[in-house]
Order: sequence, then structure tokens, then C-alpha cells
Amino acid sequence: MTATCTVNGREHPLEPGETIARLLERLELGGRFALVECNGEAVDRDRYGDVELAAGDSLVVARPVAGG
Amino acid sequence: MTDSLTIAGREFGSRLITGTGKYDTFETMRDAVAESGCEMVTVALRRIDLDVRGGGEDITDFLPEDLLLLPNTAGCETADEAVRVARLARAGGLPDWVKLEVIPDPRYLLPDPVETLRAAEQLVDDGFIVLPYMLPDPVLARRLEEVGCATVMPLAAPIGTGRGLKLRDAIAIMIEQSGVPVVVDAGLGSPSHAADALEMGADAVLVNTAIAHADDPVAMARAFRLAVEAGRTAYRAGVMAEGETASPSSPVGGLVTRP
Repeated sequence: MTATCTVNGREHPLEPGETIARLLERLELGGRFALVECNGEAVDRDRYGDVELAAGDSLVVARPVAGG
Repeated sequence: MTDSLTIAGREFGSRLITGTGKYDTFETMRDAVAESGCEMVTVALRRIDLDVRGGGEDITDFLPEDLLLLPNTAGCETADEAVRVARLARAGGLPDWVKLEVIPDPRYLLPDPVETLRAAEQLVDDGFIVLPYMLPDPVLARRLEEVGCATVMPLAAPIGTGRGLKLRDAIAIMIEQSGVPVVVDAGLGSPSHAADALEMGADAVLVNTAIAHADDPVAMARAFRLAVEAGRTAYRAGVMAEGETASPSSPVGGLVTRP
């Protein structure tokens, strides 16, 4: 069975050793800012390449939008 | 002679801050921001829509890199939520500046003073530069300043109403007492409202809806820029004292029609 995590509430099948950077690449989220929270903790951008995702991880991926 | 605005040690040539919300298109927003001359814009943070390829258009593609992005905590109803959002923004590479809004009330969008103070304290401890949105309460302003906020940002009237300086007298007390810049945020509907705020000594204004919802947002952005410059210049020039009775501007003697 494929291991999965959730991204913004949606199930995401994980590749072996998938990092946050790879996840963003697979989701084509290559904008100037992709803000990531993993299991409720904000992840520093310079660690995206190091943090490997595990089955059951819950991620939030956000970014700046129009606002006042 | 320079008359820059300094917030947390950073100098701004413009005393107009704009929001990026409510524009019909990002192109109009980009042009209005450029025309406004502002050097800082607010952005909100939201989950990326994974149903749209690449998450759809990215607002930051329409904002020049030298513009300071001020992430807000709009949508947060408690201090804990606001702290969480600010930390997410900073970790993801946004500036460590935050427009702190803690708003539990959807009808009037009035901020919760207790939660705002609690969040401000925590965020300052965490190293953030905190610009709190608040009701114009001079006592709360002092408390926010004491915990280390970089500005205080009183609302003129509820967000998006365009009603102008409805809470003027309380804002005047804040201006008199504040040791940090006072930025009038929310409720300004027209350039004259902004000029009025600057004339009474506010250090800056933050405007969104009044520009974005104008028939011609780019022209309105220019009008706000000019109004802010006019208001600030007038404040520095010293606005005359009001009189009770009339005082003629022409000589009272030597009339042509009477000896």
C-alpha cells in the first residue's frame, strides 16, 4: 500500500524519501513563496530540501493572496 | 528637507500604505500600487487551491521585489491563530513584519483588544515587527507600545465602509500620546479623509477599498498619493487656528466707494 500524507486536507501519495521541496515540485507550486506547515509547525524555507515526509503527516501549504 | 516615515528603523518615503485586496484584476492592482507611490503593501495568507494547476495566479508576480510585503493575519479570531499565521509567513520567507489583526466579529470587523495585546506580546518576543490593527483606544495603544509594537494602527471607521474619521477624537489623543507611528487604517473612503488624517498629525494611512473600488482605481491611487502628501505638508506647515467670527482678508480702510 502506498504511504500517503495530507496536503490541505487532501490525500497525497508519497514517493519514497519525498521531501517538502519535492512535494512542492510535484504539485507545481514553484512560486516566489510557498509557506509550509507540517503537523502544525511552520517549516523554515531553507529546510524544505531536508525534511522528509512520513506517512500520515498533515501539511498545510499556503501563500500570499490579495488582502488588506 | 527629508520627511520620511520611520518604522522599526526602516525609512519610507511614502506615508501611504495600500492593501492589495478587492481589485478586479492583479494587473489593475499592480498599476494602482505603482501609481500610489507606496513602499509597503499588505497581503493575506491562504491555503493554496490544489484544484487549480500551480495554485493559479500568484499575486507576488505582480508586485515589485523592492516593495515591502506586510503579511496580515486577517481571518484570525484568536491570538494563537494570529501567532501561527505570522510564524508560517516568516518561516516561508516573507518579512518578519506582520499586520496583526485579531477579529472575532464578522459584522463590524472590530478587533479583539485582549487577544490583540496577547498576540502582540508573543510576536514581539518572537522577534516580529508588529503593526497592530486596533480600535482607537489611547490606553490600549500605550499597552501595545509598551510590549514593543512598531506602530499602532487605529481604525477610522469599520473596514470597507469608507465613512472617514468617525473616531477622530480618540485618534487625536493617540497621536498626542504615541511614541510610535500612528497609522490610520480602515474606513477612509476618499482622499480628503486621508488628507484630514495626515493634517491632524497621523504618521501614515493604510488604504485598500477606497482605491480598489473606485471606478478608476489607478487614478484614485494617484489622488490618495497627492492627498497624503498634501495632508502631511499642511501638518508640517501648521494649520491655522479656527476663529469664531469672520476676519476680513482685504483692507477695511481706503474703500473706493466710501471716503
